Amino acid sequence: MKNKDKPPELQPFFDKNIAGDVVPSIGISMPRIDAYAKVTGRERYAADYYGFDMIWAGVKRAGIPHARLKSVNTQAAENLPGVIAVLTHKNISGSNRQGVIRKDQPVLVDDKVRHCGDAVALVLAEDKETLAKAIKLTSADFEPLPGVFTTETALEENAPLVHEDHPGGNVLLKASLEIGSVQSAKEHCDVLVEACFETPLVEHAYLETEAGWAQLKEDGKLEIVASTQTPFRDRMEVADALGLEPERIRMIAPYAGGAFGGKDGVTVQSLLGLAALHANGRPVKMWWSREESFIAGTKRHAARMYYRLGAKADGSLHSLDTRLYFDTGPYDHLGGVVITLALEHSGGPYRIPNVSFKGWAVYTNNPIGGAFRGFGVAQVTAAMEQMMDMLAEKLAMDPLKLRLKNAVRKGDKNCVGVTLTHSTGLVECLEAVARHPLWTERAAWKSKAGPFKRRGAGIVALMHASGYGPVVPDVANAKVELTAEGKIKVYCGVVDMGQGNAATNLQIAGSILCQNVDRIELILPDTDRTLPSGSASASRCTYTFGNALIGACETLKLRILQRAADLLMVDDCDETALIPGAVRHLPTGREIPLHRLATFMNESERTATQRFRAPTAKEIPPVGNEIRLHGFPHTLFSYGAHLVRVEVNELTGVVDVKRYLSVSDCGKIINPHVYEQQIQGAIAQGIGYALSEEVQVNEGKVLTADLATFIIPAASDVPEIESQPVEIYEPSGPYGLKGVGEIATNGPLPAIANAVADACGVRIFRSPLTPSRVLRALRERLSEGGVH
Amino acid sequence: MRDVSLPRSLEELWGLLDRESAAALYAGGTDLLVKLRAGLEDPPALICLERVGELKGVQDELDEVWIGAATTLSTLMEDPIIQRRFQVLRKGLEVLGSPPVRHMGTIGGNIVTASPAGDTLPALYVLGAQLEIRSKDGSRVVAIRDFIVGPGQVLLNRGEILAGIRLRKVQSYAIHHYEKVGRRKSQACAIASMAALLTVSDSGVVEAARLAWGSVGPTVVICREAEAAIEGKPLSMESLKLAIPLVEKAVSPIDDIRADAAYRRTVAGLLLLRLSEYSAGTCSAQ
Repeated sequence: MKNKDKPPELQPFFDKNIAGDVVPSIGISMPRIDAYAKVTGRERYAADYYGFDMIWAGVKRAGIPHARLKSVNTQAAENLPGVIAVLTHKNISGSNRQGVIRKDQPVLVDDKVRHCGDAVALVLAEDKETLAKAIKLTSADFEPLPGVFTTETALEENAPLVHEDHPGGNVLLKASLEIGSVQSAKEHCDVLVEACFETPLVEHAYLETEAGWAQLKEDGKLEIVASTQTPFRDRMEVADALGLEPERIRMIAPYAGGAFGGKDGVTVQSLLGLAALHANGRPVKMWWSREESFIAGTKRHAARMYYRLGAKADGSLHSLDTRLYFDTGPYDHLGGVVITLALEHSGGPYRIPNVSFKGWAVYTNNPIGGAFRGFGVAQVTAAMEQMMDMLAEKLAMDPLKLRLKNAVRKGDKNCVGVTLTHSTGLVECLEAVARHPLWTERAAWKSKAGPFKRRGAGIVALMHASGYGPVVPDVANAKVELTAEGKIKVYCGVVDMGQGNAATNLQIAGSILCQNVDRIELILPDTDRTLPSGSASASRCTYTFGNALIGACETLKLRILQRAADLLMVDDCDETALIPGAVRHLPTGREIPLHRLATFMNESERTATQRFRAPTAKEIPPVGNEIRLHGFPHTLFSYGAHLVRVEVNELTGVVDVKRYLSVSDCGKIINPHVYEQQIQGAIAQGIGYALSEEVQVNEGKVLTADLATFIIPAASDVPEIESQPVEIYEPSGPYGLKGVGEIATNGPLPAIANAVADACGVRIFRSPLTPSRVLRALRERLSEGGVH
Repeated sequence: MRDVSLPRSLEELWGLLDRESAAALYAGGTDLLVKLRAGLEDPPALICLERVGELKGVQDELDEVWIGAATTLSTLMEDPIIQRRFQVLRKGLEVLGSPPVRHMGTIGGNIVTASPAGDTLPALYVLGAQLEIRSKDGSRVVAIRDFIVGPGQVLLNRGEILAGIRLRKVQSYAIHHYEKVGRRKSQACAIASMAALLTVSDSGVVEAARLAWGSVGPTVVICREAEAAIEGKPLSMESLKLAIPLVEKAVSPIDDIRADAAYRRTVAGLLLLRLSEYSAGTCSAQ
């Protein structure tokens, strides 16, 4: 239905109810500034737009995994009353290609369909019902092609090619690294363990599916509002794909209703841009259904990982040989970057003198593998941390002591040859777990398992890099303004997709400028208003933008104080201080209200900006330039240690997660409340990855395209989580902070797998650990036991 | 666009059914609305039964308890008679969906949807539920096991509705058991489930057993052989184990997106062993 009435303007998103007249401080828990509007439903996400004269756009999906496109039949849909346009690749005048590293994804298919979710036509209609009918009436003629649906078959000689023009065939990127020699090292190892791990394709399953709206303005500017993590990069991608000058495009990124990497790049943006170009100036909205999000959206890469780990009899690691195969689907949605980060983390946070790591991001006709919180590290951590437990068992050594023995410390070289010059708190994390009653009293707890129950405890050690690595500039630009009304505006260039960095920005600005929360306004990412600042990803948001923001706020503060000193006719601005709403001359008590001060300052004087670029590793480990371009290596890492207690039901194979402990070194904490939310949310998500989440695909077709069959944890599946920070000051971080966004999600799968192995005496190498897999393993063990 | 009618009485309902005999009937809509959204059904009109007073409530009637088909699952869960007499049903209700689903969904809906995974069904089978079917012209009574003939298939003629469920009050079973295996603890479709009623003598011998399994066949599976195998024997692991092969033979599970058939078959048998906990006193019988 067309909404002819403009909705009433909602109040600003910040609300006195929540923050009150508080001057923020660093290190205290403050309610999130976005919380009140979000829980009361007043916050408007990209999906919430219902504007005047708005029309709907939707996509005809291919529904076939691999085929040559012969023609698109638009006539029947075009004839339907209420249909405004049916667009195909012929309506695109740009490159019609999207992507970050390798631009290989069409906005609308022109030559070939490469997965079921490919967009074949774009339909514009007056209302949603007409849109649905028109999409059904649109059809395409295909010449089906044999597809590749596993990394094994994709790598076979003569395998069908997903991209005929790619010099690497079906290998999007092969990354490798050798240090020392694993060949001769094997002779020097007292113990070797070997295994192959398989982890599933996983959906982000954010509350807000891919959504946005766009409008071609009278001045020719194309405005796109989208649920995205990457507004500045999107602008360039959309411009290139549609053949527009980037400055013609304005990208606006409201709070996103979850993203987790699934909005790290273009989803609806180019389609919306194209739609707006054919909508006669009317606003066009697109909002993928849940099923469409499952079929067309990106996923966490499914992975198959071969590991061989060797150690001395005393437990010191000596060599590690890995081969990683990641199913990247048909397009380079950062798949090369994902395999590179996976490679970098594949040996975990340990000192290993001899390593040989190889990784392949492989094109297939499955759904698109892409960015997902953890970014390749979730997969390799699942493998490496289970290897550590297998090694401990073979050495008859305590798994925690084995990790402590090999844990990296500041000044060590990690296993990819980078000297750790930043804070390195893994040992402190492990020691905190070692002291915790959930660990020390585990034997007694295990012995009290009821009938048909087995109990186990598992631990893992974690590390996660922050930022983009050495080549792609890891930059943020902050801007703060003293407004003519005497308030503070913070121009945030990095998206808040739910992680709470907007609230943290406000806390930083309020703290430095000594202003109440209600005197500060946040301007969310907007390519016309905020400054280019990289993506909301890579555990970098507050680290990078926060550093820039501190600089900008300090500059503005000094300028305000100096200007006030001039007006007060005092020599030294050190005698003045910012107080809420004013500057006070401390020796005399005289004050100038900020709104008064602002009238004496021109706009450029009232604005301060600051750029920050994250530090990079200065060493050059033995890898090719291509791998460096994909982000290898990093210099800054967060660390953690997790402990989980599980109960396994012997009759059903159901794994019940009873307790969870997370100890993390993410530097100093600006807002403990937001920090805790990041840890808890990441663990809940990780529990889903461990036990239930798996996008099932058959010949490229998604079989679990809804939340009734793709099983994410509900409240009762998530246990009490205890989270302890190890607050080690990181000198390069804002107030000593490091990234916390991803690290905790890497822990639950290996921790739970280790706990299940501890409980049952069997290890399951394929995740998720479904009741069926667990029960089968248990019963195989029991029948083996019978033979002995 | 389609009409949605909300009759307040059976009288009103019969009139509506006369005019729109192809209308889809529903109460809470927790099953039907999902199917409509997915385009799996496209009825010309909808008639909602949730406001028909005669179809709601729990009535204590001498030898029987009558449950209105449009009684919500959450109402039923809190009902003192259900709590006192039919714990097996209450246990099924407790793990059905989630609080919002239980507030909307009704027991009649759970029966007529006839999913092999319906969480009230194994309980209603072991309780020997009789269903009251009504139409403009009268009523008939049918046992639930005769009413449900396949997944989503029930013997309901056009113009008929499921009006109520009758449960015999004299049920001497002291042990009421229901266990559901799902892919998560709430909002999960059963991948296997078992309801059991047992009478155990003072000396620990099973005098009577009623067993039913969900999600391991096209309808709820009952297995008289397994019941007979444990009757007359002590409630012990040994005797329960002997019944497992009988159960594995009786069930006919399928592979689907939630679990494989082999797993379902194995679990159906193993769930029997849980009953041994009652003899050990570790599984509360409430």
